[in-house]
Amino acid sequence: MDFDTGRGQAVLLTPRQRWSMVFSFILLGLGLIAGANLRDSSLNQSLEYSNFEAGITARYPSRWLLSEAEDYVFRVENTAQLGFNTLIEVRTLPVGPDTTERNLLDRLTLRRSQTLIDYTVLGYDIYILPDDSAAVTMSYSYVSRDASPFLEGVSAIVAGLDVLTISRGQAVIVSFRADASIFQRERATLDRFIQSLEF
Amino acid sequence: MKKLWTYLIGGLLLMLFAPSFGVAQTDLDAIKRATVFIYQVQSLASDLIVKCVSTGTIVSADGLIVTNAHSVVPSQTCDGESLVVSMNVDLNEPPVPKYRAEIANADLGLDIAVLRITRELDGRTIAPGSLPVLPFVGIGSSADLAIDDNIFVSGYRDIGNQAVTIARGTITAFVSEPRGGARAWFKTRAELPGTMSGGGAYDNSGQLIGIPTSAKYGRPATDDSCRFIEDTTGDGLINSSDHCVPTGDFISTIRPIRLAQNLIRGAALDLRVRIHTVPERMLLSAEPPSVSRLIFSPSVVDGLPSTVVGAMPANTNSLYLFFDYRNLTPETVYELRVTRDGIPDATFSLPPVHWSGGQNGLWYIGSRDQPWPNGAYQFTLLLNGLAAASQQIVVGGGADNSARFSNIVFGLLDNRGNLIGNGYILPIGSIAYARFLYANLSDGTPWSTIWYYGGAEVGRTTDIWSKGANGSDIVQLRPLGGLIPGKYRLELYLDRVLSASSDFVVAGTTGGPLPAVFSNGRYVSAASVFDARDASASSAFPEAVSTIFALFDWEQIAAGTDWTIRWLVDDLPFFESTYSWVTVESGTDFMLSVDSPPDGNYQLQLLVNNLQILAMEAAVGIGQLPIDRLAEYEGTLLRGTVLDAATLTGIANVTIVLISEDYSASEFEWKQEQVVATSMTDRNGDFQFARPLAANTPYSVIVAADGYLPLAADSFQFEVDQRAVDITMELVRGYLND
Repeated sequence: MDFDTGRGQAVLLTPRQRWSMVFSFILLGLGLIAGANLRDSSLNQSLEYSNFEAGITARYPSRWLLSEAEDYVFRVENTAQLGFNTLIEVRTLPVGPDTTERNLLDRLTLRRSQTLIDYTVLGYDIYILPDDSAAVTMSYSYVSRDASPFLEGVSAIVAGLDVLTISRGQAVIVSFRADASIFQRERATLDRFIQSLEF
Repeated sequence: MKKLWTYLIGGLLLMLFAPSFGVAQTDLDAIKRATVFIYQVQSLASDLIVKCVSTGTIVSADGLIVTNAHSVVPSQTCDGESLVVSMNVDLNEPPVPKYRAEIANADLGLDIAVLRITRELDGRTIAPGSLPVLPFVGIGSSADLAIDDNIFVSGYRDIGNQAVTIARGTITAFVSEPRGGARAWFKTRAELPGTMSGGGAYDNSGQLIGIPTSAKYGRPATDDSCRFIEDTTGDGLINSSDHCVPTGDFISTIRPIRLAQNLIRGAALDLRVRIHTVPERMLLSAEPPSVSRLIFSPSVVDGLPSTVVGAMPANTNSLYLFFDYRNLTPETVYELRVTRDGIPDATFSLPPVHWSGGQNGLWYIGSRDQPWPNGAYQFTLLLNGLAAASQQIVVGGGADNSARFSNIVFGLLDNRGNLIGNGYILPIGSIAYARFLYANLSDGTPWSTIWYYGGAEVGRTTDIWSKGANGSDIVQLRPLGGLIPGKYRLELYLDRVLSASSDFVVAGTTGGPLPAVFSNGRYVSAASVFDARDASASSAFPEAVSTIFALFDWEQIAAGTDWTIRWLVDDLPFFESTYSWVTVESGTDFMLSVDSPPDGNYQLQLLVNNLQILAMEAAVGIGQLPIDRLAEYEGTLLRGTVLDAATLTGIANVTIVLISEDYSASEFEWKQEQVVATSMTDRNGDFQFARPLAANTPYSVIVAADGYLPLAADSFQFEVDQRAVDITMELVRGYLND
């Protein structure tokens, strides 16, 4: 007695069809890799900033808003960020023979305590720069709030990190600030920025 | 024999490894935690410019800090208006700015200030009682200290760049002055940089006994004692046009903490004394400060020289330099440089310090119970960095049997010819008498008396001595027009050489043993100064009285007469200050006040020439200080770390719940009434409960965090003597199956 399995007779693929399938999968894989690369390069696309007067060159993420002011050399911020805009700011400060890194960091602390809400220093550490020299870091937090009394924005807790190094008679301070909830995730942006920084 | 060797080796090991000082490491850590770094800053637009720096010491759990006044009170050199307090978050790291503080009490002359932490770093006010318990040190006594005793000093060796350090040294000398008595200063040879000024000096038991103190005159020169650390002019450069932060020279003088206790007490009780009748400070003279008439005396009697000497014998253990001063203020920096045979003598010199006396008067500086080696000594006084006067004395040779006068006291004569009175204050009248001792005199020696009033000669006698070798005698002053209020002086000369000198004050009218200088003392309560004069006197005031005023009348006090206000609560002084009299000679209703006095028994004492003339008492509330007002906190500070058991890294934002002794962890139902306190870990997993926990009380604890198995512990408690406990808890990742 024969049983009907319900299956039709198996279709046999020709060699050409088999190769077509293989190539299709290869093409799909290559497409995925190319797409990922495209995404990465789009995300990590950077622009160069140069300030010959300050002697500073760096690459910063494209589509970040660049600004220059008297208070700092330049600042870039991610205006596409929801909530507090992640930013990187570079400033230089003069250094005297008696000035130490800690003096400068304390000065930043005193100045910020005047203008930032609940500014708190969280700690100090060492940051190894691309040339293997050691910079001092100061991590801190504060509360960022919309200045306008007519807006209903929610205050954000901002985490920050200053990387300070003294070179050729001036102190270069790279300040990185981001919403505290995404600070660690965003930290790679700072690392890439510092890798490209020349002063 | 074997046993003996064992003991010997054991003893040797004990000697090798025993700490050289009697302070345990835990006490040193506690001292370091209580040491703070203080910035005096000035607002400039949205910036803060550092003007001066100093070290300070927290002396109470609620944030009272003792430091030097010269670096925190606004002055020409330190003209900042805010104070930032940096604390030691990590004892191996430089301090971190954490709070702002205000001056709660200060004495420029003593160079001591008490600060109170009142604001967060960003300027927000800290609500009363919401400041966490801060680490603080106990205040000790320096009464038992002796020369060569070990001390150690806590402070910062640089402008906020280095971690707090402990310098060790010994006491090398005690310096006497009228303000502070026989131990107005300690001297030490410990290596103390200027930035440690205002820190703490501790004895072997870890108790605070003094404050390292130094002063610098005016704007420091561009030397190592002043640092240019920031671009204050905004020109992009740091150079001599910027403000430099004075750090001062090396410190070798320590103010005894005893002299700070009134200020600490006044600050702790938030008691502020106001003087309404006259300005608290006399108008400063435009004349430059000066010193004159430098004389030596082997001893001090009631603040005056017992006799005057030109040389001292060998084995001298006590010597004082007396001098007149004019136009000195607490801003004046004075210094005594002593050389012996031309070589600077650090033991008996006094480095630059702020002037702690009045504006005009007689001062002394010296020491007792300390051997003065033989030699030719040169004493040079410097005012604001400039040499002002000098005097020489030779120590050495045989016992001094030369003729001398000594121990002058003043008074009136009773009917039997005996001198009566208090010795140094006389009422207005017609005659002043002085009794003095004489020794080793020979009949036929010429001697003379010269009386002065306000520095001008008002009487003189010259005679030939005919009263024998030893004894006492009385001389008198009978000026035309009688004795008028003011400062008088008598000088006794032997063969035209000054042999004895003493001062007295004429003030008030005849009124018994003491002149009636102050009278009609009374307390009132009133809403304002204007109402106070007409308010009814009372000796008892209700609890929470807003202000109590003290009023008194005065008679015959000349301008320039030194008088002292001392105010006590429950017999503990909280205010003492000496002023020069500046108002009219006689009047009524001199008025002082204290705002919001806590319950207690208050006594106001008024003194002239260090003699108490009037005392008046009043009770507020129950007439006794609340028990906890001056008490130290009791209990144990619980702190620690919460770690991930797998990675051994700290877990941030974990809540630690401490459960009342009435419940075990299994009985905890997450109700507030079961909770004693909660704490949350920081980004490193560290936590600290804000309030101390009672000793000998069985607590339970629950630690719960999402993604970790909860941790619970029952019945852990602390001993009475445990000031702080560190614990480490490890959480295991996982979820509970409900």
